[in-house]
Amino acid sequence: MAVIEVADLSKRYGKLHVLNGVSFSVEQGEIFGILGPNGAGKTTTVECVEGLRRPDGGSIRVLGLDPVRGGRELSHQVGVQLQQSLLPENLKVWEALDLYASFYDSPKDWRELLEEWGLADKRNVRFGTLSGGQKQRLFIALALVGDPKVAFLDELTTGLDPAARRATWELIKQVRAAGVTVVLVSHYMDEVEELCDRVAVFDRGRIVALDTPSNLVSAVDADQHLRFRPLAPLDDAVLTGVPGVVSVTRSGDQVVVAGRGDFAGAVTSALARERIPVAELRIERHTLEDAFVALTGRTFDSEES
Amino acid sequence: MTGFSKLAQVEAKLLLRDPGAIFSMAIPLFILVIFSGGTSPGDTALPSMSMTIAVGLVGLYMVPTTLATYRERGILRRLSTTPVSPGALLGVQLILQLVFAMLAAGLLVAVSIVAFQAAQPARVAAMSAAFLLGTSAIFAIGLLIAATAASGRAANGIGVLLYFPLAFLGGLMQPKEAMPELLATIGEFTPLGLFRQAIHDAWSGAATQPLLLAIMAAYALVVGSVAARFFRWE
Repeated sequence: MAVIEVADLSKRYGKLHVLNGVSFSVEQGEIFGILGPNGAGKTTTVECVEGLRRPDGGSIRVLGLDPVRGGRELSHQVGVQLQQSLLPENLKVWEALDLYASFYDSPKDWRELLEEWGLADKRNVRFGTLSGGQKQRLFIALALVGDPKVAFLDELTTGLDPAARRATWELIKQVRAAGVTVVLVSHYMDEVEELCDRVAVFDRGRIVALDTPSNLVSAVDADQHLRFRPLAPLDDAVLTGVPGVVSVTRSGDQVVVAGRGDFAGAVTSALARERIPVAELRIERHTLEDAFVALTGRTFDSEES
Repeated sequence: MTGFSKLAQVEAKLLLRDPGAIFSMAIPLFILVIFSGGTSPGDTALPSMSMTIAVGLVGLYMVPTTLATYRERGILRRLSTTPVSPGALLGVQLILQLVFAMLAAGLLVAVSIVAFQAAQPARVAAMSAAFLLGTSAIFAIGLLIAATAASGRAANGIGVLLYFPLAFLGGLMQPKEAMPELLATIGEFTPLGLFRQAIHDAWSGAATQPLLLAIMAAYALVVGSVAARFFRWE
């Protein structure tokens, strides 16, 4: 069952088309990634789905409701963590959770959330004195305190150190395990690869691809590279004739073989046949980042922010 | 009404934790204590001035700073994704600030009578009416600042910058008799000048001037609707 259905969404600011024909659906119980560089339209899309912005065209259904007209009813079933949202400096952690819990008909026990999100020893600390990671965990806890069916998490791990990011990822997996559908907005490739069941790749206001992270990566139609250091003299001609090999180049004492398909296996067999031992053999596999470059023709970080 | 009473509770705590609240209570009290040496028993002019200072500080400093900060920090926006509307927070804030201004005024009345032999307010009903209308007028200006300021810091700056000329014109820096005639006349029609005069009239027992009340109501209505028109939630 689709929890969120978005069809042909468009949004303009003046003459600038920030969203152009965006369509996707999110299934019950999955972590759905919205990936793209800054300015690609990710946050605008999610804010339309949350009912914070009115689209200029297209239709949106969340749990069967229109986010703008059904906003009040929907707000009981949806939890949101906004990208740029803070709390009053002097609000204590427990007061924030207690307050937000009071907004909902059937909230979770916020004391349990305090434990789960590692904030129990911070319950009497004021928001202004929390660390970046603690603030972020509090926001996620606030997004979940209404016991939502769908949670929107926008740039979840921004400002967290690597250990805190990994810990947050584990908690998000638990959220999914509890049956909550999660929409995750991110510009971190590793985060999306780690967490998302499916991902919509945004670029310049459009979805350029929508698939599982591993399918996106394996669909990359570009050369892969095999590197090694030959321990005996090697004639390049031995390798250029191997099926799938596109080019053979040298970089210092390293040989770099570019190729497609199952060329790597063929290359290693050829080397074995010629009795050329090698060291430091390495295959550079594609990442989601390569997938993005292949889809858009641009590197991920070159987009305006 | 989900969450409404909890919201009021939490916002009341936050208000009391705000150093601005202590400041808004302490400054008029300080003025009252310092200058009461020069007043004669039965005086009502100085207490009226100190009450005007209190309401001016709450309305021009606390109201805009709090609301603009809430908007700047995305708190109003965050609330609009919950079952509680950001309008509820706005309402709770205005009510709490009004209650706070009333507490400050009550404290000033009590201190000036008990400690400095000021006269008892002669007409309590007229004073209450003047207080409510004047506070609405001054809060409306605070709301306009909150509506138009880009950030909490900007709202704070505008509020303070606006407070001083208005306090001067309203006869809070020096008695209006000591001011140039033109400025004193202009000052009579400024929100703080109207408030001070209307409170003073009621406290001392002078005849109520309906014109003052009407102008304050007009300020509240006109400035308040302009503020509502331009208020942005994000």
